[in-house]
Amino acid sequence: MNFDLTPEQQHIRAEVRRFAEQEIAPRARHVDETGEFPAETFRKMANLGLLGLPFPEAYGGAGADSVSAAIAIEEVARACGSTALIYSAHLGLGCAPIAMFGTEEQKQRFLRPAAEGRHLGAFALTEPHAGSDAGATRTTARLENGHWVINGAKMWITSASVAGHLIVTAVTDPGERHAISAIIVPAGTPGLSFGKPEAKMGLRGSVTNAVTFEDVRVPEENLLGRRGRGLQQFLAVLDGGRVGIAAMAIGLAQAAYETASAYARERTAFGKLIGAYESVSNMIADMAVGLEAARLLLYQAAWLKDQGRQYSREAAIAKLYASEVGEKTCRDAIQILGGYGYSSEYPLERIYRDQRLLTIGEGTSEILRVVIGRQVLGEFVGR
Amino acid sequence: MHIVVCMKQVPRDNSVKINADLTINADGIEQIMNLFDEYAVEEALQWNEKLGGKVTVLSIGPDDWKEQVRRALAMGATDSLLLSDPAFAALDVLGAARVAAAAIKKLGDVDLVLCGRNSTDDESAAFAPALARLLGWPQLTYVGKIPALEAGKIVAERHLEEVIETVEASLPAVASVIKGINEPRYPSLLRIRKVAKVEIPAWSAADLGLTSADLAPVLNLAGRVPPPPRPKGEMIDGASAAEKAARLVDKLMEAQVI
Repeated sequence: MNFDLTPEQQHIRAEVRRFAEQEIAPRARHVDETGEFPAETFRKMANLGLLGLPFPEAYGGAGADSVSAAIAIEEVARACGSTALIYSAHLGLGCAPIAMFGTEEQKQRFLRPAAEGRHLGAFALTEPHAGSDAGATRTTARLENGHWVINGAKMWITSASVAGHLIVTAVTDPGERHAISAIIVPAGTPGLSFGKPEAKMGLRGSVTNAVTFEDVRVPEENLLGRRGRGLQQFLAVLDGGRVGIAAMAIGLAQAAYETASAYARERTAFGKLIGAYESVSNMIADMAVGLEAARLLLYQAAWLKDQGRQYSREAAIAKLYASEVGEKTCRDAIQILGGYGYSSEYPLERIYRDQRLLTIGEGTSEILRVVIGRQVLGEFVGR
Repeated sequence: MHIVVCMKQVPRDNSVKINADLTINADGIEQIMNLFDEYAVEEALQWNEKLGGKVTVLSIGPDDWKEQVRRALAMGATDSLLLSDPAFAALDVLGAARVAAAAIKKLGDVDLVLCGRNSTDDESAAFAPALARLLGWPQLTYVGKIPALEAGKIVAERHLEEVIETVEASLPAVASVIKGINEPRYPSLLRIRKVAKVEIPAWSAADLGLTSADLAPVLNLAGRVPPPPRPKGEMIDGASAAEKAARLVDKLMEAQVI
């Protein structure tokens, strides 16, 4: 048993933290207020090698492990939630499926430029009628003269309109409910259109669009992985995505925790530092406990992934726990700062709004409890 | 061209404590590459990209200083050297310059030594001049730009308080650079991975042929106290912004600031 990060992981944390503090954090408020995509930040992240961090060097990546990628997302989120969501979705949803299931040609054509940071990747799964119940997908793709012809509508797609490629799930064999496949669609393909960016409670710098496919034609070889196996593939992708969301929750909560702890050491009330009151120090203690536990769950899940072992359950547990404890941490941090916590002049209310998505995206807390409960009790539950 | 960069590891912030024996206690404070040295590393790398050759990053310190040496390698330095010996624990600035000079002589083929203008912990700014003197090489301090560097010659702008001086010197030479000479790069994460396990060579006092007489401090620290805390600010109150502004102006005039 060894709880130490490797020297390599420690160096990656130190460098990403430094970069995030200098380049990302100063722009976080602007990004939230304007909803502007932080393009300049992403150019710099590309130079650092962040955008391909966990992918092989042969495909433009930095060849780091999943624990390092989780640490990087955590550190980016500590500086800016919007940037972290774009980053996490790019790695876990836009790139990972191609790294996992792509052909050599697909890896060179789509993964390499994305890992080098020349474009972002996106993953279009959710539909107006199919969120948690991905099996209910209605978008179709039919094979016609060596091309897939895709028709349908997707919703809540992170970075859709700014991505260089979209991985789309579609029913390829109608009649069989689960005959869903994944297909790579390059940006600019005729028939592909985007709704205007959704107005959201938080993570406003991350563009979220509806996507419409009207006779979108891509070559047959853009099929990602095996035909009809889209749902199983997607579940494997989501395990990795959940590790990313857990990392994001921890990064945001860490920022809230540090702000609250610093404030408790500075602010006086009735002649004492407020940290000297147990009601405040208890909240801070609970934050420390929650963060520590969430981090252990996160690194365990990422480590299992690096070992090539099953980690679905651990990813679900880490995501569920980190997102819920993260939300509580932000809530309590605002409580400690009082009016300053509630004011938009200070970052906490933004962090709280950003954190709120994380019990919803990539598996709601409710779905995750079903997943974990079934694993504990067996398949009969919920049937 | 072989450029050596002298690099020091320093505490990230100055909230250090002072031990009873007057040494600095930086426990729990993150150690980083001295700010000005980062500019020196970047300058060396940029010239190395143009001219080829080697960039050796050199540091004097215990084994855990390898972390910042490694960071310089991840930025792109081609070679590294740690001068490490228990006898180096209490060096003053002249002693440190003697150790570095011995190493640079031993390296043999060095064309240019770049340093930061000072370290952010001791702030003596005497290291580079002492090193140049010991090596018998030209010294160029406060360098804000190097317009030319070629075989046998360096042209440098010295950014002084009132003027910018352009000076030319023969190589080998020692130059100390200021903030703003360039924009230091972030090391790429790929390189961070690649250098994580690189063996950093270490030379001891014996390797450098230095005796305890060479290392004995010539400067004795007689006292060390933290500077007095900054006086508390005064909050100006008033019913309106205009009233507060008026009171502020009164105060400033009273203090003869305006």
